[in-house]
Amino acid sequence: MDSSPLIHDDEIFQRMNLAERIQHYLLISTFFLLMITGLPLFFYEFKAFKWFFPTEQVFYIRGIIHRVAAAVLIINLIWHLFYAAFTARGRNNFKEMVPKARDVKDAFELFWHNVGFTRFLYRLRILKNFFDAHPYWLFKSPPLFGRYNFIEKFEYWAVGWGSLVMIISGFFMWNVELSLRLFPLWVHDIFIMAHGYEALLAFLAVIIWHMYNVHLNPEVFPMSKIWLNGKITGKELRLLHPLEYQRIIEERKKL
Amino acid sequence: MVCHGDQGLKTESGKSLFVDNEKFLSSVHGLAEIFCVDCHADLAKIKDFPHSSPLKAVDCSQCHDTATREFQKSVHYSVTEKGKNVIAVGCKDCHGTHDIRDKADYDSTIFPINLPTTCEKCHLKKVAAKKGPNFIGQYRESVHFKALEKSGLTISANCSNCHGAHEIKKVSDPLALVARKNIIQTCGTCHVGIQRDYLDGVHGKDYVKGIKDVPVCTDCHSEHDILSPQNLNSKVYATKVAEVCSRCHDNLTLGRQYGFLTSRLKTYNQTFHGTASIYGETRVANCASCHGFHDIRPSSDPKSSINPENLPKTCGKCHPGASRHFAEGPVHVIPEEIATAKYKSSHLVKNIYIIAIAGIISVFILFIAADLCRRIIRKEKHG
Repeated sequence: MDSSPLIHDDEIFQRMNLAERIQHYLLISTFFLLMITGLPLFFYEFKAFKWFFPTEQVFYIRGIIHRVAAAVLIINLIWHLFYAAFTARGRNNFKEMVPKARDVKDAFELFWHNVGFTRFLYRLRILKNFFDAHPYWLFKSPPLFGRYNFIEKFEYWAVGWGSLVMIISGFFMWNVELSLRLFPLWVHDIFIMAHGYEALLAFLAVIIWHMYNVHLNPEVFPMSKIWLNGKITGKELRLLHPLEYQRIIEERKKL
Repeated sequence: MVCHGDQGLKTESGKSLFVDNEKFLSSVHGLAEIFCVDCHADLAKIKDFPHSSPLKAVDCSQCHDTATREFQKSVHYSVTEKGKNVIAVGCKDCHGTHDIRDKADYDSTIFPINLPTTCEKCHLKKVAAKKGPNFIGQYRESVHFKALEKSGLTISANCSNCHGAHEIKKVSDPLALVARKNIIQTCGTCHVGIQRDYLDGVHGKDYVKGIKDVPVCTDCHSEHDILSPQNLNSKVYATKVAEVCSRCHDNLTLGRQYGFLTSRLKTYNQTFHGTASIYGETRVANCASCHGFHDIRPSSDPKSSINPENLPKTCGKCHPGASRHFAEGPVHVIPEEIATAKYKSSHLVKNIYIIAIAGIISVFILFIAADLCRRIIRKEKHG
């Protein structure tokens, strides 16, 4: 997208306000604590984890930290839900987060655009007539994203789903007597199984997907600073979130 | 005594011939007024003192005939290379010579607290056990010796309580007190209640039938180094007992032969109880917490602590108010062995997760690879 005179490339926009950043910090710290106090129980067969909790006392404290972190995570989540429901900005962000059919299309187009296989075939003049008639399949330009692209939406809703599973299963593991008053043992076993594997999924998703997208991706390497200062420049908006860029221009044209 | 009271009196080879008269007079023989000639019988024939010829070895059997008869059946009597019975270890080696004291005398070599030292004279180094040079010394670490030494409990087991005294036999001898066949009775001499519980349990019932694979006391508690179950190094310490039980209960051959489930340790470790136990948590349930220990019974036995009817009570020891729900699910069994379909649901959830995780992570990696392909190989940028 070409730069518009209505938005200067150096203009600063707020992508995450302070409340959103604090929610994110709390999520990071509780997630980290939950992982280091939880995953060693999933990977109990790795002897190396034994020095994580060398004594019975340390193991006991591990349990306390895990539960305190879980409680903070839940409070943070409730805060976020209130924020999304009762503030104008929160409501707007939430609306932008709603997944649409377009996101699936975006993912598909971005993938084939990145791979560039059809353009490679076209250069070799393979299926040239087909591509001339249907230039869409060349995926010449990447899909245009709005405020939140499919990657960000996926991560947001993954946190939502993951929290739901972890909180429900974790609550009943915490209160095992209550759980077994309500459910038979085989249901409780599902809680335990889901808690472990959902944790593994969350851990891998963050380590692989989120770390790539916000740290290791050459676009932002070594790190996108949005989570620290919440700022995004006009240029970044134009390149990474062109539809939002366009929307701002439309709004400014009306003024 | 005129001559033998001299500390310098020696044989030609330099062996001391000194006899401490005071010690002798305070010895059990001295006090009973049994004097030199009563034991050194050949002295009676000698008229000229000082006597020049060496005397014969003293024969204790003139008076101590019961002990001698027992002794003649023992390993100490019969150790010989040519199949001839000779005295390998004689009376004096354990009891001393002129200074023999009554067994109730604190200074006696066979007073319970002193006996281990007496046996160790030979058994620490000279006669090494097959199980290694430390095997016998380990006794000093044991709860039995601690009770003896620290608490002065002379009823605590010392060498002779388990191995016998005069009639001591090799462990391989079926008549030995420590032979597999007799060990339950031997330990049961003191641990009467435990012997009763053991014989009531599934192990004891098979033991009585003469099944050799069944564990006896020493298989779980070890032998010389028996420690209190509260001791961190005990083989039956809360976090270690699972390893002891799984020596047999994870053995496929034994499992097939006697028809019990294997993979016990693996499936236990998968539970929170097992995982926490690996990390040293002692308050979680170990094998013994649910199955009991000396009187372990199969779950089919209505008296068993893990009979489904009794599970609420057993689980309720730690989980107050435990209901029948505790029995409605699989407890550490491998999925293939679960008979009730709904009990397999957590296994199904696990498989769904494994497929989902593999799928999602593969998609992530594909997207990352595609992204890197554009940025690094083709050096294209956005915009």
